[in-house]
Amino acid sequence: MPEVKSVFREVLPKQGQLSMEDVPTMVLCKPKLLPLKSVTVEKLEKMQMEAQEAIKQQEVAMKEQSQ
Amino acid sequence: MEVTMDPLFLAWSYFRRRKLQQCSEICSKILQDSPYDQAAWSLKTQALTEMVYIDEIEVDQEGIAEMMLDENAIAQVARPGTSLRLPGTSHGGGPTPAVRPMTQSGRPITGFVRPNTQSGRPGTMEQAIKTPRTASTARPVTSASGRFIRLGTASMLTNPEGPFINLSRLNMSRYSQKPNLSRTLFEYILHHENDVKNFFFHLQALDLAALATEQAQFKDWWWKVQLGKCYYRLGLYREAEKQFRSALSHQEMVDTYLYLAKLYQRLDQPITALNLFKHGLDHFPGEVTLLTGIARIHEEMNNMASATEYYKEVLKQDNTHVEAIACIGSNHFYSDQPEIALRFYRRLLQMGVYNCQLYNNLGLCCFYAQQYDMTLSSFERALALVANDEEQADVWYNIGQVALGIGDLTLAYQCFKLTLAFSNDHAEAYNNLAVLELRKGRVEQSKAFLQTAATLSPHMYEPHYNLSILSEKIGDLQSSYMAAQKSEDAFPEHVDTQQVLVQLRQHFAAL
Repeated sequence: MPEVKSVFREVLPKQGQLSMEDVPTMVLCKPKLLPLKSVTVEKLEKMQMEAQEAIKQQEVAMKEQSQ
Repeated sequence: MEVTMDPLFLAWSYFRRRKLQQCSEICSKILQDSPYDQAAWSLKTQALTEMVYIDEIEVDQEGIAEMMLDENAIAQVARPGTSLRLPGTSHGGGPTPAVRPMTQSGRPITGFVRPNTQSGRPGTMEQAIKTPRTASTARPVTSASGRFIRLGTASMLTNPEGPFINLSRLNMSRYSQKPNLSRTLFEYILHHENDVKNFFFHLQALDLAALATEQAQFKDWWWKVQLGKCYYRLGLYREAEKQFRSALSHQEMVDTYLYLAKLYQRLDQPITALNLFKHGLDHFPGEVTLLTGIARIHEEMNNMASATEYYKEVLKQDNTHVEAIACIGSNHFYSDQPEIALRFYRRLLQMGVYNCQLYNNLGLCCFYAQQYDMTLSSFERALALVANDEEQADVWYNIGQVALGIGDLTLAYQCFKLTLAFSNDHAEAYNNLAVLELRKGRVEQSKAFLQTAATLSPHMYEPHYNLSILSEKIGDLQSSYMAAQKSEDAFPEHVDTQQVLVQLRQHFAAL
């Protein structure tokens, strides 16, 4: 890209005080690496899922019987 | 005529191939014909145990009652660096919460979850009751009413004729005299029947173990370890310690060291546990489980540098150790070396780990290591592999982070909205949405999101700090000050919070 020659010149003060204001900004939460699951956790979750499924099926069967 | 296989042999074969359901069915048939067949009885007991077997070393779920009414800790106000309860006190060069997200208990998030790292100890009763009311971290009231009771009721329902062994009718002293039956029976009680009326069955198991130990003239290490396990489950930690110690004096076993160390961690004595592990390593040099134990304790005490050292030691012994690779990887990621983290996670992929979490981590590492071509395809795979809504929410949250990184704020906004659609208690997403809303100039909406985030997870400093800045801009100095104080509690070293507090105090002094 061709540089556009500016008509304005930059002014840098050589004397006097330089002040800077630190404006607080909002912070974002950081990216989250997901922890891998151990074999035991996976097995526990699987067993719990199966148990819930079994209970659900039995409840459905009970309902059908009572009707 | 067709030649049929001997049913007991067939059952054994099924058991070896881990077709446990078929094995137990054949055994039931044999038992119907001859109810006193000990071999079939023992095999069925083993099959039923194997179905629900969980490694005892790993099982450690604390309920609210165990956590808050814990009388076992020796020092209520422990010295820094000697307790697992005050993780923030010993900083071993770990990253600050400004870079690495925190878990509820104020520990940096880890690269690997096991049953007892899933949710740390909350600080107060209020927090314990309030925060775990989310779907993913629902905490049982006591460990006796946890996951196992649900598993137990299911197994009761699926056996309409009642349980296989009626424990209350067993004559324990007779069984304890038969070593070939007593061991399988004991494991059955401990693993299969641990759920229903927890306390009663543990007492029975204890009874059996005590009788069997007596039978073996107090010289059998195996029964002593089992006695210790029973005491541990009943919460009698000092008795359990005696049994484990005594078992170790008969026979040095890695397992016993692990049980004993688990007990010391429950008693909040990490230093004793570390010494024990080191003692164990003298007898079993280079034992991976012991080294991992040391690394875990260092990690829990927030001493990331030593934890990584020990995980590296683990990898020298066993270079396919998933936990060690994942932990070192996440540590590199959060210490600003995503390229190296990427190599570790790629190694896991080569080893055959194939799940949503790994692809999500790969995607993040690729993005921050500037390998943009792989980023989105990794996230696509992660989305294709999700198992539940919580995982999906987390993946969308991280895609939102990537969108923020490339400056596509609209995409980021949509991603965070999707995160909330899948899990409406995702505090990080609320916080980031609030920042985006404020950029659009919607102050009220932003404030509402921040307040939600702050109540959902009071352990994070970001929502408190943001709320403080926002309130100050509006002119509500009092709420700004209160929010800043909360932010300081969550992250005392945060410089910007300190500055806000100083400014506000000056304001108040001038009034």
